[in-house]
Amino acid sequence: MMKLSLLSRRQAAAAAVLASLLISGCAVEDPLAEKVNAGTNSYVAGDGSVAEYAAEIRGDTVRFSGQLFDGTTAANDDWAGQVTVLNVWYAACAPCRVEAPDLSALHAEFEPQGVKFYGINTRDEAPTAAAFERSFGIEYPSFKDKNGQILLALTDYVPPQAVPTTLVLDKEGRVAARILGIAEKSTLKAIIEDALAAPGPEKP
Amino acid sequence: MPRLGPTGMLRWAWRQLTSMKTALQLLLLLAVAAVPGSLFPQRPANPAVVTQYIQDNPGLGPWLDRFQLFDVYSSLWFSAIYLLLFVSLIGCVIPRAVQHWKALRSQPPRTPRRLSRLPEYGTMTVAADTDLTPGRAIEDAANVLRRRGYRVQLRDTGTDLPSVAAERGYLKEAGNLVFHTAMIGVLVSIAVGGMLGYRAQKLIIEGEGFTNAELGYDSFFPGTNFNPGALVPFSLTLNDFDVTFDRNPASYGNPIDFTADMTVQDSPSDTPRQETLRVNEPIGFGGTNVYLIGNGYAPEITVRDGEGNIALQGPVASLPTDATYNSTIVIKAPDARPDQLGFVGFFLPTAMVDEDGVAFGSDPDPYNPQLNLNSYTGDLGLDDGNAVSVYQLDTTELTQLNGRDMPDGGIVLGAYQTYELPDGKGSITFEGLKRYVALDIVYDPGKAGALVFTTLALFGLIITLTTARRRVWIRAGQHEDGRTMVEYGLLARGEDHSLAKEAIRIGSALTAHWNKANDQNRQATP
Repeated sequence: MMKLSLLSRRQAAAAAVLASLLISGCAVEDPLAEKVNAGTNSYVAGDGSVAEYAAEIRGDTVRFSGQLFDGTTAANDDWAGQVTVLNVWYAACAPCRVEAPDLSALHAEFEPQGVKFYGINTRDEAPTAAAFERSFGIEYPSFKDKNGQILLALTDYVPPQAVPTTLVLDKEGRVAARILGIAEKSTLKAIIEDALAAPGPEKP
Repeated sequence: MPRLGPTGMLRWAWRQLTSMKTALQLLLLLAVAAVPGSLFPQRPANPAVVTQYIQDNPGLGPWLDRFQLFDVYSSLWFSAIYLLLFVSLIGCVIPRAVQHWKALRSQPPRTPRRLSRLPEYGTMTVAADTDLTPGRAIEDAANVLRRRGYRVQLRDTGTDLPSVAAERGYLKEAGNLVFHTAMIGVLVSIAVGGMLGYRAQKLIIEGEGFTNAELGYDSFFPGTNFNPGALVPFSLTLNDFDVTFDRNPASYGNPIDFTADMTVQDSPSDTPRQETLRVNEPIGFGGTNVYLIGNGYAPEITVRDGEGNIALQGPVASLPTDATYNSTIVIKAPDARPDQLGFVGFFLPTAMVDEDGVAFGSDPDPYNPQLNLNSYTGDLGLDDGNAVSVYQLDTTELTQLNGRDMPDGGIVLGAYQTYELPDGKGSITFEGLKRYVALDIVYDPGKAGALVFTTLALFGLIITLTTARRRVWIRAGQHEDGRTMVEYGLLARGEDHSLAKEAIRIGSALTAHWNKANDQNRQATP
């Protein structure tokens, strides 16, 4: 039965045949597609591209909530007024393992200044995530987001299109920057410092 | 031979391109050009297989790649055929439509001088006592033809030899044009689907869920002009997945039914509902369809490291290699300390041992699930940032701990068993078993259009094939003895096997008409 269905998918693919034709005619260079084409990825990886959003054009305040690995529920409303760094990761994600020590170091550096770090784990069970955190000395908590609810909530603002993706939220909870792929330490540091330096929302 | 000159050459080329023959040849060529797509592995289907193929065929591979034989459907040459076909169809349809428009508004052609030269010809005479003048006869004939669906025009009505010219079957060309226009529509729809749509795959283990976001996919193939806003924010959870295997001796072990019991939500604000996903019965979310395309087992594994900590816990999907669901499995514990641990081997749903002591799977249902693994330690290759498939482990740089040829042997784990790795490197436990489904998620905005245009094309084709295009001329005159002579001729446009029948029908319709008229006359004049 499964084979049968594969065949019918193949017929659909034959239809897609024609589809891809026009496409190639006017195809633009697509680094993401190239990475996929390289055949080494089984998931979507980022290219390290950084997008910073000027304060005037930032979108709405991001709102999401979810369950942390320790079982408690957290919402970003809980720490409103603080700069937040969100990092999408999972343990077997190779680029995540490269940037993890830097994130850990930046967390240690900026936590005293009130910057909140949260991970969003897309694939792991708690013990696996804990092992990763042990390996890299990660001390900030992570959301368990295997079913993608938080990702979906974030999609309304700035979609995290790859693992890892790092988002920096300003003091008003708006997305100030998005890094797709490995977050370069100095870049992320500069973004956090900018967000810290900006005036916070006016207290009522 | 006269020289054509550049304009002449262009005109000639255009006429060649837009001829029906060329269009058909291009269509045929397109079908032939699609063949390599099923001979060689294709990147859009599975990039990893292509990479492997090129590695395995270092001589031929790069050349095939140069000619885009791994990307057939997006290759230059394939696109060229497609675009030429497109131009050819349009270039063919437009002039024909104009011509047809003119034909619709023009009158049937003039009556030939000698009707007897037409392929079908007949005469009849009407007795003198019926008072049927040639003029009346032609009017009657015109009515008969009109009733038979002809467009008619009376000619030479004031003269001794009035005639009627008639033509029918304009729908044939209309159907033809509908067919060709619809073919263009099909091509455009498919192209729209390819540009704005996407295709993606996701593997979901029982008890787990998935939300429709680019990041959530295992693989994602957007169209060139894909807009992420087109992702419908649905989510689904796989509650339970059932496979029923045939237990009849004749077809023992064949799968009968796959049912995935799912909880789905159209968007985060909608109330969750229950759905059953089956093969060829996709779940739809406003244009996005979720298909069940595969399934397998995901053994639940716990790996403890040399320091006694849990380095990995959770279900690990295995890939079935045959109908008995004997599967390959790769387990990576990159956070095991002091050394990373990796496992490569087989999962057998129902393990038996043959006379050589080799385990083999004998049933697709998990009656005696067993893991047969080799274990490795060392750098799993994840820490340098290069993405690698979760289903592959390059063991060349690793130190092997377990294996059939190793002093400690291979790891054989039955349900709930734990194996202690040599040298105190840790342990692995087979905690439980879950099934998973592989889903194909397809968004094709051109699908509705493709359906409509395919239906239209079929409709047009049926009309074209069932409509005959014919011309009829009927001329009447008076014989010296007072009888009215009527002659008629028929001409088919194109092949028409029933033209003779039509001639007979027209003849008998005229005879019947005048006989009836005669009867009425007789009744009127007793």
